Amino acid sequence: MPIEIVMPRLGWTMEEGTLVEWIKQDGDPVETGDIVFTVETDKALNDIESLDSGILHIPNSVPQPGDTVPVGTFLAYLLQPGEEPLPAPTQPKALAATPTAPTTPKAVESPSKKRGPTISPRALRIATELGVNWQTLKGSGSTGRIVERDIRAAAGTSTTTRTRRTIAQRLLESTQQTAAVTLHVETDATELVSLRARLKTSLKDRAPTYNDMFLRLTALALKDHPALNASWQNDQSVQHPHIHLGIAVDTKAGLLVPVLQNADQKGLQQMAIESAELAKKARAGTLTTAHLQGGTFTLTNLGMYGVDTFTPLLNLPQCAILGIGRIVQKPSVYENQIVPRHKVALSLTFDHRVVDGGPAARFLNTIREFVEQPDLWLTR
Amino acid sequence: MRELTFIEAAREALAEEMAKEPTIFVVGEGIGERGGNFNTTTGLYDLYGPKRLRDTPICERGFVGLCTGAAMAGARPVVDFMFIDFIMDAFGEMVNQIAKMQYMSSGRLKMPIVLRGCFGIGGAAATHHSGNYAPVFAHLPGFRVVLPSNPYDAKGLFKTALQGNDPVLFLEHKLLLNSRGKVPEEDYTIPFGQAAVPREGADLTVVAIARMVPLALNASEQLASEGLSVEVIDPRTVAPLDINTILESVHKTGRLLIVDETFGPCGIGAEISAQVQDLAFDDLDAPIRRLNGVHTPTPYSATLETAAVPQPETITQAIRNLMAT
Repeated sequence: MPIEIVMPRLGWTMEEGTLVEWIKQDGDPVETGDIVFTVETDKALNDIESLDSGILHIPNSVPQPGDTVPVGTFLAYLLQPGEEPLPAPTQPKALAATPTAPTTPKAVESPSKKRGPTISPRALRIATELGVNWQTLKGSGSTGRIVERDIRAAAGTSTTTRTRRTIAQRLLESTQQTAAVTLHVETDATELVSLRARLKTSLKDRAPTYNDMFLRLTALALKDHPALNASWQNDQSVQHPHIHLGIAVDTKAGLLVPVLQNADQKGLQQMAIESAELAKKARAGTLTTAHLQGGTFTLTNLGMYGVDTFTPLLNLPQCAILGIGRIVQKPSVYENQIVPRHKVALSLTFDHRVVDGGPAARFLNTIREFVEQPDLWLTR
Repeated sequence: MRELTFIEAAREALAEEMAKEPTIFVVGEGIGERGGNFNTTTGLYDLYGPKRLRDTPICERGFVGLCTGAAMAGARPVVDFMFIDFIMDAFGEMVNQIAKMQYMSSGRLKMPIVLRGCFGIGGAAATHHSGNYAPVFAHLPGFRVVLPSNPYDAKGLFKTALQGNDPVLFLEHKLLLNSRGKVPEEDYTIPFGQAAVPREGADLTVVAIARMVPLALNASEQLASEGLSVEVIDPRTVAPLDINTILESVHKTGRLLIVDETFGPCGIGAEISAQVQDLAFDDLDAPIRRLNGVHTPTPYSATLETAAVPQPETITQAIRNLMAT
């Protein structure tokens, strides 16, 4: 059998070596202990002795002097007398063709200049699926990395927002877990309208809105009817010591309900300032968790959209929500005459598990009185 | 449905299986007449006596070796370590005999042995009683490593452990032992290698281990009010590990946080992370993150101890940070 001569491993860490020169030439007889060739490693130049004897046969296709090859690479045969030369066995390519990584990573030099924007694997996959050219996008990841939301936004297929999902979940729970009843009442808002007109004249753009007035009068009505300022928690009804009013705000992201804390302790003017601030934050998307927690009752106003009555959904765990419709002039019977009067429709939804129809109707009646006679609450 | 504590649920599993299978016996320190330091065997001594509830001296290697032989001879031993920290004194028996015996005998010998005890950090138990060695056992071929997070799982998984023929590490977090949960009266088992998804979500996946499961659920509940939808996965067993449930979740969310009280280096999170980046690279929208206990012997001081393990606030913060990444 021909004996293979290979690149030897000359140290524990040696992975490759350079064939420097053949000391014996093709066809030379070799004795055990003869130096056959020299190898250069990263440490030294080494003379390689033969472990066997025979006739050296160097096929044409083997590494040439000067080539750097992995340990174990075939270099030549030792043939016994009478043995035919063999072609070189197939072997891995010389390492020179695939240089190993340099020890100093070059990528450290300002990678951002050479590479395009970075993109998450997921974003890349979705970009491919949706046919989005991400090379021109600006990433919203913390390091400027393009992430899924950037691709979705660019494709115009923005996934359902988190706000939307929260709304979906909470309102479904509301309809599934409560015994909701809605009461409707139409009431005379003529006095309220003239109050607002007077405030506008005196306070200009600092004048409270109708919504502010409803917040104020609702807070005071809740003080008189604590049964409506309650929740269903752990299978029992809990009345809250504080009155924190949720205000439904329509935003681009969807419905948000920031909370006006201790609403009964705030004057109309203070209420106007704070509710405007909350609505602004809601629309700017800068509300924090603290702004959204702790509500005990909610107001929702669709009057500006021309809606009269509707059936508001409960904002769990609260037991009631007051819906306010548009204020509109209607022919009305007033002091036995048919005259134009301002009217507003109110819709109170309550959770019948927590409170019964009687207390809810009495609460709504107080609201009606407050709307009809603003002096009743302005003086408190 | 009735509620049981974790330890009551596990004890019920043991009692039911002992009644059915006469070859099950328990050894350990104080598990006989005393009923176990953590009430793991309360009431069983009266039923089965010292033959099947055998108190031992403090000699872990000795009684683990004894049970190894008993399992090879056809019995079904349960070793109750109380604090499982001291299982390390029997490590040689476990690694070289228990874990290898089925392989060495070409399957002719079974090794139905359950090694149980409480682990984890809590209650200022100091470092010798605060061991968190689950990843060590998961690293070795031959062991099933079970980490229940609630009473229901504790019973179902303990039954599977007692009915099987493989060595099982049944690890009970000391702060979960008295936690309560619904456990049905009827018989059931939970197979190994089947994760639970106690909370579904769409924005981010949290894989939580043992006691970190309830903490992660609380954090997710809190974050839901901010509109963040977190999915929580409880692998229940880390060997075998149900990687498919995790992959499906990451396919949905694109973001993965692994919350594990045990040490980070070469740990459970490292393994999950490696598998996910390999098998679901194109699903990842952000780097995989781990939140682990601090890589240190556990401090005795309650304040420092608290700082050494993930807390509800640190979990919440880690989730927020990963969402912003």
